[in-house]
Amino acid sequence: MTNLEIEQKVKEILSKKLDVEPGKIALETRLAEDLGVDSFGAVELMFEIEEAFGLKIPDSEIEHVRRVGDIVTYLQGWLEKQPKV
Amino acid sequence: MSGRRAVITGLGVVACNGIGVDEFWQANREGRSGISAIDAFDTTGFASTIGGQVRGFDPARYMPADTAKRVDRFVHFGLAGADMALAQSKLNVAAEDTERIGVIIGSGLGGLLFHEEQMVAAFDRGLHRINPSAVPRISPNAVASQIGIRYGFKGPNLVISTACASGANAIGEAFRKIQHGEVDVCITGGVEAPLTPFNFAAYCSMRILSKNNGHPAEASRPFDAARDGFVMGEGGAVLVLEEREHALKRGAVILAELTGYASNSGAHHMVIPDAQGTDGARVMAAAMRDAQISRVDYINAHATSTKANDAAETKAIKIVFGADAKNIPVSSTKSMIGHSLGAAGAIEAVACVQALREQFIPPTINLTHPDLECDLDYVALKGRSANIKTVLSNSFGFGNCNVALVFAAAQ
Repeated sequence: MTNLEIEQKVKEILSKKLDVEPGKIALETRLAEDLGVDSFGAVELMFEIEEAFGLKIPDSEIEHVRRVGDIVTYLQGWLEKQPKV
Repeated sequence: MSGRRAVITGLGVVACNGIGVDEFWQANREGRSGISAIDAFDTTGFASTIGGQVRGFDPARYMPADTAKRVDRFVHFGLAGADMALAQSKLNVAAEDTERIGVIIGSGLGGLLFHEEQMVAAFDRGLHRINPSAVPRISPNAVASQIGIRYGFKGPNLVISTACASGANAIGEAFRKIQHGEVDVCITGGVEAPLTPFNFAAYCSMRILSKNNGHPAEASRPFDAARDGFVMGEGGAVLVLEEREHALKRGAVILAELTGYASNSGAHHMVIPDAQGTDGARVMAAAMRDAQISRVDYINAHATSTKANDAAETKAIKIVFGADAKNIPVSSTKSMIGHSLGAAGAIEAVACVQALREQFIPPTINLTHPDLECDLDYVALKGRSANIKTVLSNSFGFGNCNVALVFAAAQ
């Protein structure tokens, strides 16, 4: 999966979950301030992302997520560490 | 007592035969049933497959879309009811001392739907996947809290859970808080969203639900010889209960007055009511003493359409009124909407207030062949105009919780 594909998939999940047009979600979009995601909402969002990508995101990482880009960066880093087939 | 009186200045209702007071009351006047085949979940294999499912209800019409997404269905009913009731009352919240406004709502089961969904998710996907909002969504007091949060009501905020008497109990306790001077306004009522697979199966196991699946609209038939159990319904109702002087001072329209309340326990059995009706009689007599009256013009019965309840309640009415019992019209609005458990007493309170306002008694539909043990005037099949100044409303719950409320025409 390329970085762009990751980004698109994250935006797609956010758009569906939060009922926001995909065009309104950019890497710099803030989850709390711009999308109204509270701390519970952030955990719910991570569940969706974990399911979609098949990974487990540690709580310590969830606490650091502020912007959409933070999620994408984390996933890119995670994917790079995966054994290449 | 202090002399502080409590009046009703707003009503909101969500029921299977009508959303909003006008639609609900019109259906009650016409004897229209809201019972249908349940499609909220797959009822394959259930002994009973019918219920009072609320259809065409869009929560987002009554609350911010964001809130609608984050609360359980039982809270939807409460917030919608509060929205309608407050609109009718024309209470200007911004001009009120919000510490003097309380919220007391009844719910027998709380956020059961989300609870079940999360239980399934937990077993399917693992315990670490439980939604972080599960606790505040499932908690029975979420309904009162969400109403308080939505409007900024900072007075006492409670949920009362006494099974099928919850809604009536909540209204009665709100009445006491006003009488005692603790609040000037109380948003009160009852809500229930019990049409969930687990809960429905649990009630089926008790064998107390009607199995008249082929004829949903005819299944709830209180006092009828062919009654075979109750039909479970969902919904809610909210009243704005207000200290009379407070209402008069702001020029509010008084819809009716709440003049009497009593609650007691049969201390007998978790499920089986006292067959002789003595507990029901005690609570009715106590509510009438509280209202300082010795007769009523109409009784909105608990009348669930179970063999045990309807016969015992008839006996109870006879104990209280003696030979005069046959002269008092008694009806069951559950014949049209089924039994919505913790919401029932509150939905029936709306019917009672409307009966007083419109001088019209809603019917007990489907009562074609009365049980020999049920021989009162049940306003069978068709409603009727009547001169009514006082109404008694009964609510009896599992755990032998009994409640009676007395409403009087506005004056």
